Amino acid sequence: MYRLGIDLGSSYTKGVLVDSANRMVAFHCVKTGYDFRKASEKIVSYFAENHEIEYPAYTSGYGREQIDVPFVSNSELISLAKAVYEIYQRPCSIIDIGGQDTKFIQVNARGQVDKFKMNRKCAAGTGSFLEEIAFRLDVTPEEFTEFAKNATQEVKINSYCTVFAISEIIGMIKNGATLPNIIIGIYNSIILRSIELSLVEDHLVITGGLPAMHPTIISLFKERYPDSDSPEHSQFLAAYGCVLLNNPKAEK
Amino acid sequence: MSDKLTQDKTELVKLRSAGDLRNTMDAYFARLKEAAETRSRKIAWCTSVGPAELLYSLGFEVYFPENHGAMLGAGKNADKYIPTAVAHGYSPDICSYLTSDIGAFLQNETPLQKSGFSSIPRPDILVYNTNQCKEVEDWLSFYARHFQVPIVGIHTPLCIPDLSPEIIRSVSDQYHRIIPEVEKVAGRKFDMDRFRETVGLSHDGCVLWRHVLEKARHIPSPVNFFDSAIHMGPIVVMRGTRYAVDYYKILLTELEERVNTNISAVPDERFRIYWEGMPIWYRLSSLAKLFAKLDTCIVASTYCNSWVFDDLDPADPFESSALAYSKLFIVRSDTVKEKILEQLLKEFTVQGIIYHDSKTCARNSNNRFGLQNRLFKQTGIPYLEINGDLNDPRCYSEEQSIIAIETFIDQLAGKM
Repeated sequence: MYRLGIDLGSSYTKGVLVDSANRMVAFHCVKTGYDFRKASEKIVSYFAENHEIEYPAYTSGYGREQIDVPFVSNSELISLAKAVYEIYQRPCSIIDIGGQDTKFIQVNARGQVDKFKMNRKCAAGTGSFLEEIAFRLDVTPEEFTEFAKNATQEVKINSYCTVFAISEIIGMIKNGATLPNIIIGIYNSIILRSIELSLVEDHLVITGGLPAMHPTIISLFKERYPDSDSPEHSQFLAAYGCVLLNNPKAEK
Repeated sequence: MSDKLTQDKTELVKLRSAGDLRNTMDAYFARLKEAAETRSRKIAWCTSVGPAELLYSLGFEVYFPENHGAMLGAGKNADKYIPTAVAHGYSPDICSYLTSDIGAFLQNETPLQKSGFSSIPRPDILVYNTNQCKEVEDWLSFYARHFQVPIVGIHTPLCIPDLSPEIIRSVSDQYHRIIPEVEKVAGRKFDMDRFRETVGLSHDGCVLWRHVLEKARHIPSPVNFFDSAIHMGPIVVMRGTRYAVDYYKILLTELEERVNTNISAVPDERFRIYWEGMPIWYRLSSLAKLFAKLDTCIVASTYCNSWVFDDLDPADPFESSALAYSKLFIVRSDTVKEKILEQLLKEFTVQGIIYHDSKTCARNSNNRFGLQNRLFKQTGIPYLEINGDLNDPRCYSEEQSIIAIETFIDQLAGKM
C-alpha cells in the first residue's frame, strides 16, 4: 500500500507516491490546465494502474479540494517546509519558485515555520515572467537552458513588469546584446525578485518547478549563496510533505 | 491543516444591535436627505477625522466622503467607478476611496440612491484635516471646484514623534482660523457653549466606543474586527452628537451580556489576531467567514482601535481637539506607532498580526518601513503581510491571500 500526495498548482499538478517507510517512490506531473479535477484524476489513475493506493490522498495547492477521491487538504507551504526539514533536519531558508507564486519560508531548528512570505500579485520573480518572455522571444523554456550555456556576460534587466521587461529586452537586442546573455539576465531578474522577499538566514534550499526546469537558476543561486542547494525532485516536495504531515511516523 | 474547512463553521454570531445600528444610520441619512432636499439646513462635508464637532456645533448636517467611499467598496462597486476617475487624470495608485468616489460622482451614481437620494448631498462648504493624509485635501478640492463652494482645512504635521505644545498650538490656531469662513456659510455665529457641548458628546461617544472595543480583551472575544468595522459607522459620522452616544450604550450593553454569558464572536475561538491596516471592504464578509472557519478572531485593529478621541475635553475644546486629532495613530511617527501596537498586542492577548499592505493607502500600510520586523523582534509575535487594497479589488489576489492566511494559522498552531 502506498500513500499519495498531490500538489495541485496553478501551472502543474504534481503527484508523489510514498511507501510505508515514508520514502518517495514514484513521481508524476501533468499540466493543470483549466480543470483541477481532470488533472488530479490523471495523477490518481497514473499511479493506480500499477500501485495499490491507501486513501485518503493528501493534497495541497490552489486546487487542493478539487479532487474526486477521498482527500485531506493541507497548507502547501507547511507541507513544503515539512518535506524540506525531513530531508535536511536543520534550520533552512526555502525559496520556492513556481508558476504563479514565489515563496520564502523560514524553518526553525524544530522544523516549524517561523515565517513565510509570498510574492506580490505580479508576475515578477515567478515562472509566468519567464514563460511570457520566452513566448515573446519565440524560444521554448527548454531551449533557455541550452542558450544560457553560451552566455559570456550578464545583461541586467531592470523592469519588474513583464511587459516593460519585454520592451527592455527588445531595446537590448537592438543594441546588440546576445540571446544567451539576455537569458542569464532574465534568470538573475527572477533570483533578485525572490531574494528580496526576506533575508536568507539559514541554509538556502531552492525548490519548485522553475528551478527544476531551469537548473541554471540553481547554479546562479550558488554564485550568491555557495552553501545553497536544491534537492532532487524539488517540485514534488509539497506533495511529499502533505503525506508526511499526516503520517509522521514511518514504519521500520 | 485545512481539513477542518470541510466542516460548516462559517456561521457568524450576529450582534443583536445590528438593527439599532441600521436605524441609527438610516436616521442620519434621512437628516442629510432632508437637508439636501429642503435646504433647511446647511451641509458641510468633512474628512473622517476632521473637525466634525465644530461643524455640528454650527448647525450643519455633516457628510463624510470617506464613509461614502467605504460604502462603494463594501458594495463591491469601486472597480466600476475607479476607471472613470483615472480617465479624468486621477492615478490608480492614489487613494481608491478618492478614485471610486469621484468616479461614481462622474457617473452620477451613488449607493445613497437606494435610500432615495437623487445624488450625494450638495455641499455648502468642505472642511478637511490632513492628519490622516494629504489626499483628503485633493479629494475635497475636486468637489470645491465642481460645486464652486468654499473649502477650508487644518494642516497637521505628519509623523509626529512628540506632541509638543507648538504642534498643539498650531493645530488649535488653525481651528480658530477656519471659524469665520465656516460661520459665513453656516449663517450663524460660533457659539462656544454649543461647541463645548458637541466636544463633550464626541468625548462621551469615543469613551463608549473604546469600552466597546475593550470588550474584545475578554477571552473568548464577544466582538471581532468585522463587526467593529461596520459598527464604527456612528463614531465616524455622528461624532459630536447624542445619536452616537445613544447607539454605543446599546451596543455596549449587548457586549457586556455576551461577556457575562461567554458568547463569542467566533464560536470556537482558538487564535487571536491583530489586523493592521485598512479593511478589505469588498471581501469583508468572505474574510469574516474564512477566519471563523479557522477558529480565529480578529480581536483588535489599528483601523477601529485608533478611532478613540477621548482626550476631547469640553472644558478646553480647542486645545483638546488639537490634541485628540494630532494624537491619532496614523499621524504619529513609527516609534510611537510601535509602542501603541506593542501595548495593544498585550492588552488583547494577541497571538499573531496581519498587515494589510493596501496598494493605494500608503499612510495606512504600516509594513513599508520595517515596523513589522522591529515589532517582531520586540514581541516575538509572528506576523503575515498580505497585499491588497481597501477598495480596488484589482489589487487583491483572493486565492493567494486565502492560502497565506490558512498557512499563517497553521503556523500559529505549530503544525509540523
